[in-house]
Amino acid sequence: MLFRSPPWDQVTYWAVDLETGGLDAKRAPILAVGMVPVRGGVIQLGEAFESLVRPYAGAAIQPDSVRAHQLVPGDVREAPPLSLVLREIHARLREGALLAHHAGIEVSFLRRAYSAMDLVWPRPRVVDTAEMLLALDRRSRFLHPDHQDGDPVLELQEVRRRLGLPAYPPHRALYDAISAAELFLVLRRRLGVRRFRDLPR
Amino acid sequence: MLGRVPAMDPIAFVRATPPFDALPEDAFARAARALEVAYFPAGTRVVERDGPPLEHLHVIRKGAVRLERDGQTVQVLEEGELLGVTSLISRSTPFDVVAEEDLLTYRLPRATFEQLLLHAPFAGHFATGLADRLRNSLGRPAESDACAGADLTGEVEGLLRTAAVWIEADATVGAAARLMRHHGVSSVLVKSEPPGILTDRDLRNRVLSEELPANTRVSAVASFPVASISAGAPVYEAWQLMLERGIHHLGVVSPTGLLGVVTSGDLLRASARGPVVVIRRVEQLASRDSLPGYAALVADMARALLAGGLEPSRIAGLVARLNDALLTRILRWAEADLGPAPCPYAWIVFGSEGRMEQTLLTDQDNAIVHADDGEEARRYFAAMAELANRDLTRAGFPRCPGGYMAENWHGPLSEWRARFAGWIDNPVPDSLLAASIFFDFRPVYGGLSLAPLEELLRAAGKQRTFLAAMAKSALEFKPPAGLLLRISKGSSELDVKLSGISPIVFLARCYGLEAGSPARGTVARLDAAVEAGLIGNEVRANLAEAYRFLLWLRLREQLKRIAQGERAGNALTFSALSAAERSRLREAFRAIRDWQETAAFHYRTDLF
Repeated sequence: MLFRSPPWDQVTYWAVDLETGGLDAKRAPILAVGMVPVRGGVIQLGEAFESLVRPYAGAAIQPDSVRAHQLVPGDVREAPPLSLVLREIHARLREGALLAHHAGIEVSFLRRAYSAMDLVWPRPRVVDTAEMLLALDRRSRFLHPDHQDGDPVLELQEVRRRLGLPAYPPHRALYDAISAAELFLVLRRRLGVRRFRDLPR
Repeated sequence: MLGRVPAMDPIAFVRATPPFDALPEDAFARAARALEVAYFPAGTRVVERDGPPLEHLHVIRKGAVRLERDGQTVQVLEEGELLGVTSLISRSTPFDVVAEEDLLTYRLPRATFEQLLLHAPFAGHFATGLADRLRNSLGRPAESDACAGADLTGEVEGLLRTAAVWIEADATVGAAARLMRHHGVSSVLVKSEPPGILTDRDLRNRVLSEELPANTRVSAVASFPVASISAGAPVYEAWQLMLERGIHHLGVVSPTGLLGVVTSGDLLRASARGPVVVIRRVEQLASRDSLPGYAALVADMARALLAGGLEPSRIAGLVARLNDALLTRILRWAEADLGPAPCPYAWIVFGSEGRMEQTLLTDQDNAIVHADDGEEARRYFAAMAELANRDLTRAGFPRCPGGYMAENWHGPLSEWRARFAGWIDNPVPDSLLAASIFFDFRPVYGGLSLAPLEELLRAAGKQRTFLAAMAKSALEFKPPAGLLLRISKGSSELDVKLSGISPIVFLARCYGLEAGSPARGTVARLDAAVEAGLIGNEVRANLAEAYRFLLWLRLREQLKRIAQGERAGNALTFSALSAAERSRLREAFRAIRDWQETAAFHYRTDLF
C-alpha cells in the first residue's frame, strides 16, 4: 500500500444532525442543522454550529415530522435561507469527515440541498454510528453465537442509555449532533479501531 | 421513584455545577466557548502519579475515577465533581487517577480555568473549607415550592405599615383609646425612659375588666419597657420572640430609636402558613375534638418555612415552641378533669423533642417527674399520663414503639435520681440506651425543679468510664463505608438518620456532657465542646454544617413523601438528589468519619 491510513484521531470529524419537514429528501425541506467537530479525539463544544433554516417557498412540513423536531412553520419563517446556511455547512464539511447517526439520511438531504443550490457535493468521507453499532453487533454474534436475541437496538437515545451516556434534551439538532459524536467515541473504542479506514462507513 | 434528574445539555450541566454557578453570565459564556467533551474508557490512566499534570479542569458527567496512591484507592470522584484542580493549581500530581468506569467529562483548558480564577466567588470555592461549601449549598434551595410564603429571611422593617404612634405617659387611657382608633392601630408607644407600650389587650384586661375609669393614667397600665427587635432582624426572629414571650406586639428599633410596632397580625399577613397561625390555632383550641389536624398544620408550616429558605434547625425551634404550647393546653385539660395536682411535678420530653430538633411530629417521648411519693400521687399522675398520651396521639404524635411514654414512665423524683445514678454507675448496653434517651430531657410544663437530675448529668460528665462507654456506643453508628467513596453504586436508598444524623447527635451528647454543659441541642453541645477546649473550631464548623445539611435533606424528603401521601421516614433516594447534593452528602459523611476517628482516640474507646 502506498499511503497508510491516518490514525483515527488525526482526522477531523464533523458530527451533523438535520431536522427536516419529512422523510422524503426530494420534497421535505431542511428546518434545522446542528454540527460539532471532533478533533484529536475530543469534541469541541465551543466550535458547535447551529441554525434554523427557512424552508423554500411552498415547502410542506409533514405533521408526523413535527412530533420529532417540534418546529412549526412560525419558528423557521424568520430563519436564514438554505443558501446561507449551506455556505456554513460547506465550510465545515470540506474540512474533514461527515459523522452522523444513520448518516444516509443526512447525506441524501444534504446532496439534494447542494444540487438545489447548484453547488457541487464535496463528497466527504462518511462515518455512520449506526453502521458501527451493526458492526459491533456482528462481532458479538460471532464471538457469542448463542446470543441470538433479536435485532440490535439502533435508536440513538436508547443506545446511549444502554451505554451509560447522559440524557440530553430532545428535539434539538445540536444536541443530537453532540449525542452522535459522543456515541462515536465510545463505539470507536469498543470496536478497537485504530486507523481511519477501519471505521465502518 | 421520586423525580428524576432532568436531561441537561453539556453547557447547562457545567453551569449548574459549583462553582460555575457563581460566575457572572458573560464570564461563563466566554469560558463555555472553550468547552470540550472527552471520553476515557474504563481502565484509562488519566493521570500518572508524579507525571505531567493535567492541562484541563474536568467536570465529570458520567462514570467515575479513582484517585490512587501506591495502589490504594484514596478517593473516588463521580458525576458532578471536578477533576484536575490539584493539578492545575499546584502543578503537582500526588495521585494516580484511573477511570473506574467509562468516563465522559466536560473539560476546560488551563488558560480558561486561570481566567475564571480572577472571579472571587469562583476562586473562593477552591479556597474555602467544607463548612462554607455546605452552607453555600444550603443557601440555594434546590427547588422553589409553589406554596412558599413570604421571604422569611427578609427584614422586620419591611413589615411596618405605619409610623410609630406615641402618647405621653401621663395621658389618660381614654385619650390613648381615641388615638388608637384615629390611627387604626392596636397599640400606642408610651413616652418614657425606657419607652413602654399600651395595647388594646391591656385596655381590655387591665382597664375594663378591672373597672378602672377612663381617666386612669397610661403609665399605670402600660408595659415597660416595650419588647423590641432590631429593624434589620429577619422576620423569623420576630416570630420566635413573640412565641417565646407570648406577646403580640414588638417595637422595631433602629439606631435612631423606635420606628414603629409590628404585630402578630402583620406577621400573619406576611405568611399565611407561618407559626403565628398555628400558635393562634393552638391558643384557640376549644376542646379535645379539635386536636386532629394539628399534625397536618405543622407539616404545612414546615413546608412553607423550608420553601422560604429557613434552615431546619430554626424550623425545629419553632415547631418545639408550638408543641410546647399544645402540651400546655393538653395538661391544663387534664388538670381540669382530675383536679389540681397533689404535689409539684414536671412533664419532661426527651429525644429530638428534648433537644428541640424535631421538625415533623415524631413518636412521643415523654415522662412525668413528681415531687412526693405515695399512692395518691402515683394514682393521680398515672391518670394524667393516660389522658395526655391519648390527647397527643389524637393530635398526631404517634405512640412510641419503645414505650417511652409518660403512661409507663411516671414516678417521684427520688426514683428518677436513683435511675439516673444507676445508669451512670453501671454503663451496660441497656443503661447506655436509656441514658441516650433520657439524658436529653427538657421540662415543658409544671413547676418542679429538676436541678437534682441536672446535677447527676454534670457528675456523669466527669466519669471517664461512663463517657468512654457512651462514646463507644455512639461510634457504632457509622456513615456507610462504601458511601464514603461511592454513592451512586449499591443500594439506592440510605437511612439518613442511622448513617448521618445519629452519629453526630450521639457523639455530640458525649462531648456536651464532658464539657459539663446543660445544653441539649446538638449544635449547642458542639459549641460547648469548643468552649471547653475539647474540639477545634473548624471541626465544630464542619460538623454543624454537615448536621444542618443532613437535616435539610431529610426534611425536604419527608415533606415530599407526605405530599404524596406516603409515610415520612428517614430513607433518602439517591436518584432524586442532584449531583451537587450527592457530592455534599459525601463530604458530610467524610466529616463525620474524621470526627469519629478523633473521638475514638479521645475517649480511648479501644481500652473499654
